Amino acid sequence: MARYGMLINTKKCVGCFACRLACQAKNHLEPTEAFIKFHELETGEFPNVYNEIVPTQCQHCEDAPCAAVCPTHATYITDSGVVLVDPEKCIGCKYCMAACPYGARIVQESTGVVEKCRFCYENGEPGNPPACVGTCISGARVFGDLDDPESDVSQAIAKYHAQPLASNLTESKIYYVR
Amino acid sequence: MVWGPLIAWYLFLAGASAGAFLTAAFVEAKYPDSVKMRVAGRIIAPVFVGIGLLMLMIDAEAGLHNPLRFFWLVSNPGSVMTLGVYFICIYMPVTLAAAILEILKKKVPKWLTWIGIVFAFAVAAYTGFLLGVVKAYPLWNNAVLPILFVVSALSAGLAATSLVGLVTDRERFEHMWLIKKSHVILSAIEMVVLFTMLVIVSAGSFEGAASVHSLIAGQYAPAFWGGIVILGLVAPFLIEGYPVFIAKRVETSTTSLVVSLIGEAGVLVGGFLLRLLVILSALPVLFL
Repeated sequence: MARYGMLINTKKCVGCFACRLACQAKNHLEPTEAFIKFHELETGEFPNVYNEIVPTQCQHCEDAPCAAVCPTHATYITDSGVVLVDPEKCIGCKYCMAACPYGARIVQESTGVVEKCRFCYENGEPGNPPACVGTCISGARVFGDLDDPESDVSQAIAKYHAQPLASNLTESKIYYVR
Repeated sequence: MVWGPLIAWYLFLAGASAGAFLTAAFVEAKYPDSVKMRVAGRIIAPVFVGIGLLMLMIDAEAGLHNPLRFFWLVSNPGSVMTLGVYFICIYMPVTLAAAILEILKKKVPKWLTWIGIVFAFAVAAYTGFLLGVVKAYPLWNNAVLPILFVVSALSAGLAATSLVGLVTDRERFEHMWLIKKSHVILSAIEMVVLFTMLVIVSAGSFEGAASVHSLIAGQYAPAFWGGIVILGLVAPFLIEGYPVFIAKRVETSTTSLVVSLIGEAGVLVGGFLLRLLVILSALPVLFL
């Protein structure tokens, strides 16, 4: 069984928002709704300071706090490690939004259901690749099977020594090159 | 901010409901003649938690549009919210049955009261644990918060019931020293617990310190000092404490009635504002 994950290379990201737009189009989101958020940080210490753009979204944690607190089991994790929301079970209590350390979840205005990045999951499989990866103009995003050492994503993680945002806090599956 | 006033109302009403039920049980045991106050507590319990649950459902928009989804709420016992649903599922019918028995002027059986007492504590405590287990918010994720919420719940329930006692059965109420003493002591404990929580949270993390700062010196300071500390804790402590511990006499004047009403209402306002500000001022630890 595959275990899907992603690499985001902030050194390649130019902050063009194409991934967010592609995601919104693919997932039928309103212009005010987005699964991808951009954080602009001032990193480093003078005189070695640079502007860092960090796009964040659902980190698809193995130890997902959102799934742990979800009272209805609307949030669940597929066998391939993708964290999903069953919109038919979600009551919109927002407990998952409070529990997520990455602020990745939003309330969908039309339904009140809490949603988030789903790796463009459709018909039992994630997108090949997900919209954000396919559209990225600088190749800052890589998607694939973390359990396969030959996959592009595993190779890229090894090459750049990419790390999850919060080390092993939630065993997240999006790796960052900073 | 994830949650807002609706959830604050629920946390407050559920806590006050539990406190009112416990007050009624206490009055029944110690002052069997104080019928009005006991009945008041018994009726307040299901009404408050009922209104609170309505607030919850309004806040949970996806469920509001598809009410059958609420049945899924029992499915994850690992979630404090699901545990709370279990507690409410027992607490609500028990308090409702007790209230109906009181209204029909029938005796509430001892065993029913005891089940109610146990689950009243469970409901009051779970509202604290609900926030307490959320790691992302330092203001919530500490061991003091659930204790603070339980103390505040007892205090608010006592105040709501006392308010009715004060208006409908004042002569008897003024002689209920144990009730009055408990009230003063609860206010004192709550002050200490609140102080402890703020100190510990602000020492624990940057985000915790920022949350505490917004309460004591930032945008929430007027509501915190005016509503929670002065109106909700210090004023009731002095108003109740003076006649009970210093003057030691039964008050009968209209002035003291008005002052007492302000004290009891202050506890309720403070109890609500405590929940509201705890929800609004909590800042998450963000990992970037």
